[in-house]
Amino acid sequence: MTIIKESAPHLRRKASVTRMMVDVLIALAPTLIFSFIVFPIHTLVFYLISVITMVGAEFVYVGLKNMMPADGQKHTFKEKFAYAYKGKFNQNNILTAAISAIIYTLIMPAGAPIYAVIIGALAGIILGKLVFGGLGSNIFNPAAVGMIFAKLCFGGQYLPVGYFDSTKEVPFGYIKPTTWYYTANTITNSVGEIVAGPTPLGDVNSGLYSNMGNYSLFDMVLGKIPGTLGEVYVITIIIGAIYLLIRRSADIRVMLPYLGTFGLLSLIAGLSIYSVDGATSPIRFTLYYCLSGGVLFGGVFMLTDPVTSPINSPSRIIYAMVAAVATIFIRLFAALPEGVGFSILIANMIAVVLDHYEWSSSRYTWKKFLTMGLLFVVPALIIFFAIKFGGIYHV
Amino acid sequence: MIAKTTHIKDTKKLVGSLPAMRYTEPKYLYIAMANARCPKAELFIKEGDHVNSCQVIGVRHAAFFDQPIHATCSGTFVGLEKHYHRNGKLTDFIKLENDFKDTIDPSVKQRTPEEIAALTKEDMTQIVKDCALVGLGGSSFPTYIKFQTDKPINMILINGIECEPYITADHRLMLEYPYRIIDAIKYAMQAFKCNKAKICIKSKYKDIKQVYEEILKDYGDNRIELCCVKNYYPQGWEVAMIKEATGIELKPGELPSNRGIMNFNVSTMVGLYKAIKYNMPVIKRFITITGDGIKKPMNFRVRVGTSIKDLLDEYCGGYIHPEKDKVFIIGGPMMGNSVPSDDIIITKTVTSIIVLDKENGGVEQPCVRCGSCVLSCPVHLEPVQIMNAVKVMDKERIKALNPLKCIECGLCAYSCTSKIQVTDYVRRAKIFAKL
Repeated sequence: MTIIKESAPHLRRKASVTRMMVDVLIALAPTLIFSFIVFPIHTLVFYLISVITMVGAEFVYVGLKNMMPADGQKHTFKEKFAYAYKGKFNQNNILTAAISAIIYTLIMPAGAPIYAVIIGALAGIILGKLVFGGLGSNIFNPAAVGMIFAKLCFGGQYLPVGYFDSTKEVPFGYIKPTTWYYTANTITNSVGEIVAGPTPLGDVNSGLYSNMGNYSLFDMVLGKIPGTLGEVYVITIIIGAIYLLIRRSADIRVMLPYLGTFGLLSLIAGLSIYSVDGATSPIRFTLYYCLSGGVLFGGVFMLTDPVTSPINSPSRIIYAMVAAVATIFIRLFAALPEGVGFSILIANMIAVVLDHYEWSSSRYTWKKFLTMGLLFVVPALIIFFAIKFGGIYHV
Repeated sequence: MIAKTTHIKDTKKLVGSLPAMRYTEPKYLYIAMANARCPKAELFIKEGDHVNSCQVIGVRHAAFFDQPIHATCSGTFVGLEKHYHRNGKLTDFIKLENDFKDTIDPSVKQRTPEEIAALTKEDMTQIVKDCALVGLGGSSFPTYIKFQTDKPINMILINGIECEPYITADHRLMLEYPYRIIDAIKYAMQAFKCNKAKICIKSKYKDIKQVYEEILKDYGDNRIELCCVKNYYPQGWEVAMIKEATGIELKPGELPSNRGIMNFNVSTMVGLYKAIKYNMPVIKRFITITGDGIKKPMNFRVRVGTSIKDLLDEYCGGYIHPEKDKVFIIGGPMMGNSVPSDDIIITKTVTSIIVLDKENGGVEQPCVRCGSCVLSCPVHLEPVQIMNAVKVMDKERIKALNPLKCIECGLCAYSCTSKIQVTDYVRRAKIFAKL
């Protein structure tokens, strides 16, 4: 027996990083499984590709980071390997990469070519995470970086609508996008992410809502609408969200303000549209806006990633609100159909600013409440009047 | 797990319901020459001298006060020996050989109720000073300095919360000496001329509540109240306790006496009772010996100066796994000091000894910024930001993050999901911020 001297406190809580990561994996599982049922080959191939790429990149990175310094002596490969990896590459490295890979898979459209998936995954893990120093040091969400990189660079190569017709052969490097889950009506009306065309919103007049109007609310809840591999399955995502909140592995201070602000702002947009045309139901518009696209998925699984969120609770609320405002602006006014990925990256940048030591504090002050109020009121006014006077043709 | 930590897993049930063991007569007793507040000392006796119990045998010098050293048993002065003090340093100890006669020094005399009723605050301050009474909850802050305040006091708070897990010494003390505590509260109220006192306990201690409700009914004194506070950690921290009991929120660094509040630990109250009633210094105290490393956790009432080794071997049945590595903690597991040896002496301010088996499970992982430390911090600091500032030695940033507010409760490291010793970084930040 030896008596060890250590500094207080001498007790530790049971919770660990590994547990939090396993929780996120469990929460993602229903969506992943459902996506696998709907698009078996796509999900399997995309996931295998991205997980191998991401874990491989992480493995190589750890090896390079902890490389044995030259000390003038000869070492066998085995020694060098043990020096670089022993105690430095553990379950957490694999788990984070695997989670990033699952999220990345679920936000890729089925029409993406294989090489775009590989390059996107590489870009996501390297540009989104490893250049900042690996686990715990990244500023951006790796999955969002990967998805946006692939879309910006190879978006033109994503399969257009016509290929959902089962008779047409797909070119080399693509997986044939057929599935039993969607009705023929869905396929032909798809302009969303499944078959994202050369310019996803090339025809600005056919905006998100006017397309969504073709689907019933029931279809939206079941996920029978255009979208990426996993972002539209509302029920499974909500199951995951509830699990995460019960296990406290995601912060409710990020999830609820994001979804709440987004919902309220889209309600205001709906009211504004109603005031112009007098026909669109604001409630229906709000529900369609919240249930379509990646809002739920992004708000539940991507924005809540603690590594890329600010550190204290008031900042987390502001961060979530920034993301919500960015999402609704991109959706309503930008020449892109879907703003969740971009808005998450924008909010990730804001997170760094919110954490600056001069104003970062875990206390709620009137300044922070004012910021939150302004973050809601100003976008609400902009949305209302922009639609009222700018017209609704693009909404 | 991203959540505010307020509770710490507890094993109090193990020892809290057992009566304290009276183990009062070891062969040798050791009395510290110096302590954290008084670095220098001088002795009035030489080797071979006979001393009486409670006799003044020396004096410790500190920057602005002197503290008499009292013998805690009658016997012979053998010499000086080096042992570990509670702060983890090797210190000279006065070794007394017990003659088991327990002859009491003539300075100890019982005061009649009339004499006590005639005492003013100045008299009591002098008595407390002569008896070297200090904060026995662990702070070892001299009590007479508290008595010297000239601010009007309208509320006395008695801290019996003992929010640290594992420790039950104050719990047993409150159950076993309720009359002494209430008498001492009356003396303190007499000294400060205040008409209100509250005994703060955790609301989960139903037994203490029952005892005190009965006794206060008996006394018929409605100036003393029982105040049940929530079961959080760190509720025993004075700012948290004052807020819970009176609703007054102290500013960081503000003394409670500024707001008319005086707070004492329960064991200090028992010391005060002995000092006022019998003019007797603290020679015995309650301690808890517990932890998952020893066979029989127990509470003791022992003479100050007893060696822990004897107690552990004789009464606690030794270790469960003698081959495993151990951590010896003096004080609570959250804020206590760990000592590098089991050769520890009980001084006046040792509340407990905790022996933990060291598990090698907590491998440090990179921080994932989950924010648990920020949520848990009772003084609203951001331990993780302080840690990052310390890592890059950014002095300006460290100062702006205000680490001096930290009370070192240890919740940041306890709640850390990455098992990082965050509290250590904050301690380093405090050193930087003082430069």
